[in-house]
Amino acid sequence: MLVAQQAARRGARVAVVDVCTAAVAALPIDGAGVSAMSRTSASRHPLYATDLVSERVEELQLTLGEGPCVDAFALGSAVLAPDLRADGEQRRWPGFAVEAVTAGAAAVFAFPLRIGGISPGVLDLYSEVPVELGPGQLADALVFADTATLVLLGTRIDRTAESLEDLGRYRAGVDQATGMLTVQLGVDIEEALVRLRAYAYVHGRRLVEVAADVVACRLRFTPDEDRSSADDG
Amino acid sequence: MNEQLLAKAFVELADTLVADFDLIDFLRTLTDSCVDMLGVDAAGVLLADLDGELRVKAASDEQVRLLELFQVQNDEGPCLECFHTGAPVTVEDLGTESARWPRFTAQARRSGYSAVQTLPMRLRDEVVGALNLFRVLPGPFDPAATPVAQALADVATISLLQQRSSQQTALLNEQLQTALNSRVVIEQAKGKLAERQDIGMEEAFTALRKYARSHNRRLSDLAGAFIDGTEPLTGLVV
Repeated sequence: MLVAQQAARRGARVAVVDVCTAAVAALPIDGAGVSAMSRTSASRHPLYATDLVSERVEELQLTLGEGPCVDAFALGSAVLAPDLRADGEQRRWPGFAVEAVTAGAAAVFAFPLRIGGISPGVLDLYSEVPVELGPGQLADALVFADTATLVLLGTRIDRTAESLEDLGRYRAGVDQATGMLTVQLGVDIEEALVRLRAYAYVHGRRLVEVAADVVACRLRFTPDEDRSSADDG
Repeated sequence: MNEQLLAKAFVELADTLVADFDLIDFLRTLTDSCVDMLGVDAAGVLLADLDGELRVKAASDEQVRLLELFQVQNDEGPCLECFHTGAPVTVEDLGTESARWPRFTAQARRSGYSAVQTLPMRLRDEVVGALNLFRVLPGPFDPAATPVAQALADVATISLLQQRSSQQTALLNEQLQTALNSRVVIEQAKGKLAERQDIGMEEAFTALRKYARSHNRRLSDLAGAFIDGTEPLTGLVV
């Protein structure tokens, strides 16, 4: 119902954005995000996030390869982290827990999207303050996850795959920068992504920002060891 | 009726719902179970595939397979009628029905069958096929056996629909993942081409699309090949 209302307000077909917005309205959380994930190709695609913190949560799990969302997808069951500052969580996800708290997410709840044996991705909910989801709220969260699954699988895919309606913003920057790096560094695409991520990590910067600099030619990578030059002009 | 055999048949059929589903194996189990338990001499299954075309999917022996095929090819017979109406059809003596299905009754007699009972494989309004039971001797079908046969048909129907829907779901997911991955590879190709030719992203995109069109290739395939180095883009116009 809530989800349908959100879509009606936007004047569009129900999409992932509506599920996320409705979830935020219904639960004691501050944001929600959805990532598409594939077992076979081990690929992850952040699809939508309600706010910058959610976006960061999705991005962190993508770049660090760890976190409740990663575990939830692998296990096929919900992974709840009501307090990321707690010892248990810090040990379980040493990289993710610290970064997520810094980004403003004190609690993260990840729900795999599933129909039978098929799992197209994950729904992540976060809260600025530590919080526990009660049984009723958990049940609601599961319903939102189910809805997200159906919506995701119902995505209209046009034949040329040049546009994917209903899936919200897509940051082309990281992928474009990666392509550029294959030429700048003379390496294959996997290596190019590793180098891009490594740069972001070492300099304590967000991947999307580093990518934006590369695409705008403010930052060039050279094959010279790990040196890259930033154009201050 | 041997209750143990019956229970075993249901368990076998239900097992297919959890294990790796093999349609042909499943339906063969169904037809064999019918022959073992229901006092009939042969059984066959006609199924409509996703295009709505009726096909002979299983038969307890070659003889009855040919008879089923005959019905489909001639578009005539009790099994077809059952499929179209969604209602069971019972014929105790085919000799009396030659006016109704002239070609079928002649063929059935040649095959050695005198009685037919056909049960719809349906779930609510959807008829997916028909379970067909054949007997050599004319005469009534065991009234106790009919509900059992229908129950077997019902279990089969649910399994089939479940299998189809999970195939559809898997297909949708695959299409989604492919589209998402295509998007990534196209953007990567734009970046690579833009850097290589020292042009902007939009120009790179236009050039890639033009090249793909003039070489009759899908953009995502071309992009993928360009990224992994197997496509040199000779003669690319920027």
